[in-house]
Amino acid sequence: MTTMTSELPLPLDGVRVTDFSWIVAGPQATRILADLGADVVKVENESYLDSMRIGLRQDPKNPSLNRSGFHSNLSRNKRGITANLFHPKGREAVERLLAESDVVIENYSAGAFGRMGFSWERLQEINPSLIYVSVSGFGHVGRDASYTTWGPSAQAISGATAMSGLADQPPAGWGFSYLDHSAGYYAAIAALMALHHRARTGEAQHVDMSQIECGMVVSAVPMLDYQVNGRRYVRVGNRSRYPSTAPHNTYPCAGDDRWIAIAVDDEDQWISLCEVLGLDGLLEDSRFADMASRKANEDALDTAIGAVTCEREPFELMIELQARGVPAGVCQRTDDKQERDPQLAERGFYPTAPHEELGEHRYEGLPMQFSGARSRMDRGAPLLGEHNHAVLTELLGYSDEEFASMLAELAI
Amino acid sequence: MTTSDNIPNNALPGPLEGLRVLEVGDLGEVAGKLLADAGADVIRVEPPGGGRSRHVGPFVDDDPRQPSLLHASRNTSKRAVTLDLTQPEGLAIWKRLVGLVDVVIDATSPTLLDELGGGWEWAQAQPELGDCVWCSITPFGRTGPRRDWAANDLVQLALGGPMMSNGYDDHSLPPIRPEGEHSVAVSNEYAVSGMLAALWMRNAGQPGQLIDVSIHESVSATTEGAFPNWEYFGRLVQRQTGRHASPDPTAAWQFLAADGQYVCLINGGLPRGNAAWDGLLDWMDEHDAADDLRDEQYQELLFRDPRANPEGRRHVADTIGKFVQSLPAEEVYRRSQSLHFAWGIVRRPEENLDDPHWEDRGFFWEGELPGVEGTVRYPGAPYRFTRSPVRMRRRPPLLGEHNHEVYVGELGLTAEELRGLLESGVV
Repeated sequence: MTTMTSELPLPLDGVRVTDFSWIVAGPQATRILADLGADVVKVENESYLDSMRIGLRQDPKNPSLNRSGFHSNLSRNKRGITANLFHPKGREAVERLLAESDVVIENYSAGAFGRMGFSWERLQEINPSLIYVSVSGFGHVGRDASYTTWGPSAQAISGATAMSGLADQPPAGWGFSYLDHSAGYYAAIAALMALHHRARTGEAQHVDMSQIECGMVVSAVPMLDYQVNGRRYVRVGNRSRYPSTAPHNTYPCAGDDRWIAIAVDDEDQWISLCEVLGLDGLLEDSRFADMASRKANEDALDTAIGAVTCEREPFELMIELQARGVPAGVCQRTDDKQERDPQLAERGFYPTAPHEELGEHRYEGLPMQFSGARSRMDRGAPLLGEHNHAVLTELLGYSDEEFASMLAELAI
Repeated sequence: MTTSDNIPNNALPGPLEGLRVLEVGDLGEVAGKLLADAGADVIRVEPPGGGRSRHVGPFVDDDPRQPSLLHASRNTSKRAVTLDLTQPEGLAIWKRLVGLVDVVIDATSPTLLDELGGGWEWAQAQPELGDCVWCSITPFGRTGPRRDWAANDLVQLALGGPMMSNGYDDHSLPPIRPEGEHSVAVSNEYAVSGMLAALWMRNAGQPGQLIDVSIHESVSATTEGAFPNWEYFGRLVQRQTGRHASPDPTAAWQFLAADGQYVCLINGGLPRGNAAWDGLLDWMDEHDAADDLRDEQYQELLFRDPRANPEGRRHVADTIGKFVQSLPAEEVYRRSQSLHFAWGIVRRPEENLDDPHWEDRGFFWEGELPGVEGTVRYPGAPYRFTRSPVRMRRRPPLLGEHNHEVYVGELGLTAEELRGLLESGVV
């Protein structure tokens, strides 16, 4: 980070979030808020540990709970405390933190946070201006609220899995928990909207989020299509049903499991594609004379294109096609993005930050830049209980003696 | 818990009541919708022929002259005006519109509005627009060597990484792009957070500013384990059928149930606790399907020393997988959930219309859709605000539906001036 940008303010400076989130969906939400400058205080304890701390640990033989890069990427810029909710002083410390917070976010199963002693009614007693954002599979309201999801089952139920894959194959679904990301994005939005509402009216509120609904909102078109046109959803692979364009697919390239996506939208692009691929003959072929005929003969079209792309180096081909204005992109692996994507490099998308046990590492950036503010990438995730002293003494007003006795009594 | 008493009062204002937004271009419609459903007054500015989504199917009755369902899904609660920004008169009106709003969503291109003289460069030089929040949403951002590259959703999901994680065990089959224009969704979700953060700063007395959202970066940030696997272990994840990509192959967790519908068994169906395991065995016994799983050794390998016997674990997963393939999918889903397994059923999107749980939550918004008799149920918002409901405030607007209301009623043109602009194709 340059000196100049570090002088700019953080957008959410002064906003405090008590963070009871774990795994991916909740931490993704608080990651955005922390990147934007909120003071996110992650509360953990051995009985409600963020289990990402043991996911992808850098050295599986080292039992430290501070060595997961996966966790660090999700919880960077946050502070962390441990608090024992079974100890009255531990519980009191959490309640004092809630009293000093604007927002509390959790993504336990519906009802679990209430069973931990933090029902919405209780939260309002602790702090009437506290906003409560809960993220669960089915939401807290509704007949199936006791059901639970992980990303993949939420994707399955929502329709997002069925909408991924080739027509003659099983659903390919998602190779990661897309709805954990998406629920996190929406939870960050929900927290910010609720803050704006509170700023205008003084009212805090509970926002009840459902992870499955986050998938249903991106399945809106087939839901409307079924009601309006009676059409049931059928997978289309990488082709484009709407708009009805062709070629629009992934094609094999030279190398091991290398593919390029090409999406032609108009006749100029079609001509350019054929010229770059040396397929000028296709321009004379009546089966491919216009968009409608190309669409009607898409199997033959894709076969003809794939037969020549498989000889081509994918990145060279992409650059050549882009130079002619043809939308084309290599199906990039993570190493392609992190080590040789000039756009991501130029934009500084993988900033580095320190972490006491993991050392200096790169992090995924925030995908936006502000002209009058900075986002931050100051440090990796908090060590377990790293900020106990700072939060309890500086923020919550405990004396050093009180802090020492709480440590001794295992309240924190 | 069925709590009809807990349904938010829809008469209440939304969380963003009072916010005014101008939206232009084709890559920011989802962001505009999220703000509009939350109560902001969002005016979408389209060229006189209509924005892209109006021309993309499916259409009502599959008739391209009828409204587009893609447009309907992204434009609830908005108002719509038409304006040709490339004509000087149109640009002059655009500049006046900017003066009416708090936020501009500029999803045209990194350069178009600046080249026309009505973009961020112009706005930031106007003292009276000092509060303006200008959110640019573009394929690759407003800077960088590939700023002007051509992309659509397929190309974005290729370049950003999700596709290499999605697909099949058989790598002769291509990486897969899920349908639904997810690159627009995720970038717009980030953009809304950015806009609300910039507005938060403005409330604190800071001036307006430019937010430069890159779709490529938004997609690149949405790949979960692929990033740490490379950054910390130098390993690439490999796509697998219907489950997480992984550096090493993992057991299948998507199975075809007896009625031809798929089910999703997280973690290969292996239980996370003793109580769930006992319930599962009882259920399997009802179908004589428990095989030897009651043997004490499986308790040991499931709950005490998971790494000790991978073959034993594989046997348990295979037996459970075989069991679910003998039952209808809905039974697998409901019964497993009642036993506290987080299993799912692979539904087509439209199948959720019949699930009463979503009715309990008020998820679907019943409303008009032009060209359709009666009402349809729109998928709503994934969040229930208890005091300031997010909801559909208007049906999706027709092309130019609010021209008179906005240009005459709010901008102060005369009806005659508007007629002239319509005739000359400016509006």
